[in-house]
Amino acid sequence: MNKFLQDAQDYLPILLQGAVTTAGIAFCALVIATLFGLVLALMRYSGIGVLSWTARSFVNIVRGIPILVQLFYIYFVLPDFGIDLTAFQAGAIGLGIAYSCYMAENFRAGLEAVDKGQVEAAQSIGMSWVLTMRRVVLPQAFRTVLPPYGNTMIMLLKDTSQASVITVAEITFQGKMLAASTFENMTVYTLVAGLYLAFSVPLFLLASYLERRFGKK
Amino acid sequence: MITIKGLHKSFGNLEVLKGIDATVEKGEVVCLIGASGSGKSTLLRCVNGLETYEQGAIDVHGRRVRAEDASIRDIRTRVTMVFQRFNLFPHRTALQNITEGPIFVKGEPRAEAEAHGMALLARMNLADKADAYPEQLSGGQQQRVAIARALAMRPEAILFDEPTSALDPELVGEVLAAMRALAEEGMTMLVVTHEMGFAREVADRVLFMSGGRIVEQGPAAELLSNPQHERTRDFLSRILSPM
Repeated sequence: MNKFLQDAQDYLPILLQGAVTTAGIAFCALVIATLFGLVLALMRYSGIGVLSWTARSFVNIVRGIPILVQLFYIYFVLPDFGIDLTAFQAGAIGLGIAYSCYMAENFRAGLEAVDKGQVEAAQSIGMSWVLTMRRVVLPQAFRTVLPPYGNTMIMLLKDTSQASVITVAEITFQGKMLAASTFENMTVYTLVAGLYLAFSVPLFLLASYLERRFGKK
Repeated sequence: MITIKGLHKSFGNLEVLKGIDATVEKGEVVCLIGASGSGKSTLLRCVNGLETYEQGAIDVHGRRVRAEDASIRDIRTRVTMVFQRFNLFPHRTALQNITEGPIFVKGEPRAEAEAHGMALLARMNLADKADAYPEQLSGGQQQRVAIARALAMRPEAILFDEPTSALDPELVGEVLAAMRALAEEGMTMLVVTHEMGFAREVADRVLFMSGGRIVEQGPAAELLSNPQHERTRDFLSRILSPM
C-alpha cells in the first residue's frame, strides 16, 4: 500500500495533465454534439422531405461506423484532402460528430414526445415555425430529453479515451505510456479508473440535480 | 367574413369534404353539427389552415386561406381557434399562455399585454388563477384560459372545435356561459359542437353536416325543431334521446 501511494504521487501529476486534456476534449465534443445534434433533430422534425432525409442518412451512416474508425479517418485520411488537424482537434471534432448522432436521436425523441396539439395551438395564434420551436416545443422537449442527455454526456466523457489511439494525450494515453515504461500496471490503471470516476460521479450528480430541478414531475 | 366555396378535402383515398359552400357573416354565431366523422372538425381546421385542401376556396375578408402560404400566419392572428383538448402550454402560467401571442407574435409591449391578459382572465372569472399552471386548473378553467388566449389576439372571429367535448359534464356549463357572453358581445363565432341547447339558444344559424356535405342549414330554432332532411331528423333524434 505504501508503494502504491508513493507511485501514485509520482504518476498523478502526469495523469492529471491527461485529465485536463480529457476535460477539454470532452467539453469541446459535447458542445459540438449538442449544437449539431439539435440541428439534425430539427431537420428531421421539420417534416421537409430533403432536410429530413439528409439528417436521417447522416445519422445512420455515422452511427454505423465505429468511433475509432471515424477518428482514424479524420486524423489520417483528411490530411490527404488538405485538411490538417491537430490530434486534439481531430479528437474533439470526431467525437463531437459521432455523438451528435446519438444526441440527435435523443432530441428527436424529446421533440416527438411533445403533443401535436401544442404545435397547432402555437400556430393558431399565428406563430411561425421558428417561434413555435423556440417558445413552445423546445422548452417542453428539454424536460423529456434531460435524462438521456445526461446519460449520453457520461458516455461521451468515457469515450474520450478512444482519442488516445490518435495520440491525444488524455488520461488513457498518459496511463498507457506510464504503464509501458514502469510496468506498474495495477497502480497506473487504478489511478486512471479513479480519475474517470472523479469526472463521471459529479456528472451523475449534476444530471440527477437537473432532472429534479427541470424534469417532468 | 368567412366564405367557403366548393371545398374538397381528402385524407389519402378517403374524401372527407365533398364540396362545402358556407359563409359566416360578421357578428354571426354559426354552429356546425353532425355525427362524428361527418367532416365538421376537418372543415373548421381547414378554415384555420391547420389542414390543406385540394379543391375550392376559403376566404377570410377576401384573403385566401392556404395552409402553405406565409399569409396564413397573419390570417390566424385574426381568426383564432379554441381546441377540444384545450392545448394550453403546460410550461407557462395561465397569464403567460394568454400573453404569449400578443408579445411574441404581435410585438405588444409586455405591460400592455399583461394588463389586457388580466382583464381577459377577469372576464373569464379567473383573475385569481393568473399564476396557476394548466395542470393546477380544472378542465373548465383550462378551456376558459384557452378562450382568453384566443381573445388576446383581438381576433375578428374565433373557431371553436368541440370546446366542451373533453370536459366533465359538470364543467360544461361554465365554458358555454363564457361562450354565450362572447356571442352577446358580437364576436363572430364558428362552433363545432354537440351541445344542442347551446346551438338553439346562442347560434344565429346551424349547419348540419353528414358524409362530408352540408345537408341542411338554417336559423337555429327552425332547423333544430323542424328539420327538413331525413338525415337531420335521424341525427337529432339520436342526440336528443340517446336511449
